[in-house]
Amino acid sequence: MAISDAEGESPAAAKEVGGERKRKRLAERSLLAKWKTEGERKSYSSKLIEALRVVRRSSCPAPAAVATDCSRSRAVRVAADRALAVTARGRSRWSRAILSRRTLKLRSRARVARLKPPAAAAGPRAAERRKPPALEQKARVLGRLVPGCRKLPLATLLEEATDYIAALEMQVRAMSAVAEILSAAAGGGRSSSVAAEPM
Amino acid sequence: MSSRRSRISEEEITELISKLQSLLPETRRRGASRASAAKVLKETCNYIKSLHREVDDLSGRLSELMATMDVDSAQAEIVRSLFRS
Repeated sequence: MAISDAEGESPAAAKEVGGERKRKRLAERSLLAKWKTEGERKSYSSKLIEALRVVRRSSCPAPAAVATDCSRSRAVRVAADRALAVTARGRSRWSRAILSRRTLKLRSRARVARLKPPAAAAGPRAAERRKPPALEQKARVLGRLVPGCRKLPLATLLEEATDYIAALEMQVRAMSAVAEILSAAAGGGRSSSVAAEPM
Repeated sequence: MSSRRSRISEEEITELISKLQSLLPETRRRGASRASAAKVLKETCNYIKSLHREVDDLSGRLSELMATMDVDSAQAEIVRSLFRS
């Protein structure tokens, strides 16, 4: 993968203002395109398989309980996200946030649904700030959706969001491909149990 | 027009927003030129939520498939097809 060589230029140069920033943006565009390459998808797929194996082994002691279906799918989701974050190679904030996340966080976040009253921006302050409050509110929602991005300035948040979306799309493609392969293999009379879902 | 710094970041923000907009499926379809920043943010939030939902569905499907399959042979199958394509 030749694109990974471009990373060497960015660190020191990115600090300076002016023309250097343009170079950083161009490098980012190629970073985004990276999520679409076959190589990345395959790299992610193999990490995903390893993670699935780990999930399978850890949930083995409780085989037939129905309740574990939900927790297993959640475990798969967590493993898939972690594998995605690893594939990002720590370049982005959201990936680092996912890797430092503890496993239970996914569940507790769904319960604590904080309903904030619509933020009434103070009159004089709104004039000073350049961003209208409607934008602020949406930016806050976005910050909650992208892992680890709650208190970021808007520019950084937008960068993280673009990378995160590209990564999510790859995740969906890879997981669909794996699911297709598995269901084809399961339906092909290889495994012991039936459970062949008509696709 | 207070400080120079905030003006530069406004340009950056506009550019980032248009880059974000080009990733969204809605815009790809309609070929719209410039939606407002608020609309782009809203579309982004919705898109990310729908992607999360897809991943959740796929996770459910994968966990079902895993439950009925022997993982090692599954892995062999996947590795085989990965190297095939």
